[in-house]
Amino acid sequence: MAVNSMASVSPKPHNIGISRLFPGSMPVFLMLLMVAAYIILPMLATFLYSVSTRWTTHIVPDGYTLSHWFDGFADNRFRGALLRSLCLALVVALGEIILVVPAVYWQKVHNPGIKNILQLLAAIPLAIPILVIAFGLLQLSGDYMPAAQGTIGLVLIAQIAIAFPFVYWAIDNAMSSARVEHLAEAARTCGASELKTLWHVILPNIGPGIATGTLMAFGTSFNEVPLTQFLIGSRFETVQLYLLNMLRSSDADYNILAVMTIINFAVTLVLSVCVVWLNAGNFAKRKG
Amino acid sequence: MSVAQYAADNAKRGPETAPISPYLRWLTNWGPALPLIIIGIVMLVVPCALMIRQSFALPDGSGFTLANWVSLFESRSARTTILNSLLLSFSVATIALLVGGPLTWIISRMTRNWQALNLGLLTVANNFSGIGLAFGYVAALGSYGMITLALKMIGIDIIPPASSSFWGLTIAYEYGIVPMFVLLTLPSMALIRNEWWEACQCCGANRWQFWRYVGIPVLGPFLGASWILCFTWSMGLYGLPVALLGSSRPAFNLITLKMSRSMTGLLLGNQQMPVLAVLLMIIAICALTLYKIMLKRAGKWL
Repeated sequence: MAVNSMASVSPKPHNIGISRLFPGSMPVFLMLLMVAAYIILPMLATFLYSVSTRWTTHIVPDGYTLSHWFDGFADNRFRGALLRSLCLALVVALGEIILVVPAVYWQKVHNPGIKNILQLLAAIPLAIPILVIAFGLLQLSGDYMPAAQGTIGLVLIAQIAIAFPFVYWAIDNAMSSARVEHLAEAARTCGASELKTLWHVILPNIGPGIATGTLMAFGTSFNEVPLTQFLIGSRFETVQLYLLNMLRSSDADYNILAVMTIINFAVTLVLSVCVVWLNAGNFAKRKG
Repeated sequence: MSVAQYAADNAKRGPETAPISPYLRWLTNWGPALPLIIIGIVMLVVPCALMIRQSFALPDGSGFTLANWVSLFESRSARTTILNSLLLSFSVATIALLVGGPLTWIISRMTRNWQALNLGLLTVANNFSGIGLAFGYVAALGSYGMITLALKMIGIDIIPPASSSFWGLTIAYEYGIVPMFVLLTLPSMALIRNEWWEACQCCGANRWQFWRYVGIPVLGPFLGASWILCFTWSMGLYGLPVALLGSSRPAFNLITLKMSRSMTGLLLGNQQMPVLAVLLMIIAICALTLYKIMLKRAGKWL
């Protein structure tokens, strides 16, 4: 979930026909085709793998079956990993909203000084590799918080911390374009308390921002590896750890591995499409 | 202070308006943001600070020494590892620039719907560049992968680079990094104006000259800035290489893999790991500073 937010800021280009600055449109078409193939083919291969009976020497499998999907869902380990990942990502996304919305609201309405600190914190997970943070946390919990070491709570809070930049930007943008300062002032004039203002006035006005933030936090948590691997390890096997462990073990069932990969891909696809769609909707609304 | 705010503040304090203690005032100013700030500091700032401290600590965790740094740079395998990481990130970012640059240009000039379709595809690829991709890669390009078999069928007996080799890793990295480059660079493409190309044509310039003297100089700093971010991002990648290379001694070592192995205790004393971590942090901070400087330079055209 690196740069999703960037997609929304593309301004409308001055419309020069491609062919005017490029030598003909055939190479352009070929290039786009190659890029599309590059992105789609590995997914297609994985999908075919997940529904094939045997696949040895031909381009396409020798036969098709859904049995790997049934086998996968019949397997406790498989179901467990999927369920754990989904729950963890859901809690991370919810926690993110509960923490970020009030903070950004307070920054906008009462204390602009909060902004500097939040921006600085938001830069860290993007600049510093998560692996470094994971090892630092391992050290921290080992030396100073032994009770937290190896707990799911630590992983949860750590994931909230690393997914926070995406949520922060999404909500900060939404609150800026909704002009929450004015909304808050109007609500206060009518005698609403802070909580009432937040719940009845602010939240309904920043819906798309919250949705984008939630989806991105969900995606970050769902695809996160090093924090989960080093802070809690195989005691809490998520989809990513399942894939990693299977890929590295010698007796793995590759067809079931393909099923899990496709599920992982499908979750990412749905989240990405929703984010792009939400951003496009925002963009069109602002333009109109 | 607006009238409304004044009235509201008064209503809140009540009629007797006792003087607010500085602590309470501080709490009112920061309160709702505090949980987030505390989590951020404990989970992000403190771990980094601990890594820096550890990199200068004696084996028992106390004192101050430069021995860890010296021993890292004296070790041949560590030097090779660092060089590998730098080379890999360099080639990944450069290919992303060469492919992503023209691609971004093409996408920036598409109609809205085509643009949305392409951006959607790229966003998915960018987000999917983890361990799942490692399997997709093997299924498509491995020695029994779909593309490999297809090439064999039409008579081209090429075996794509093994997933654990330098070029194999580069190809796998590009899956996420090229889309990232495009998404980062796309906004800047709107700077190139139709009129400039017309003006160039009036002066008798051809397409190549337009790009050489107008297009590239204007876009250069933006492209460079995106290159830097892609470079830094690939330095810190962990999931994909660990899935492709495995944890046993790979032929090709990387900083992130070496760190993870020193953690699981297969290799080295733990003392080199914090140094590698700090090295990654230094590279990241330098790159970000450079990124800011470049964007500032680029901004003078805006």
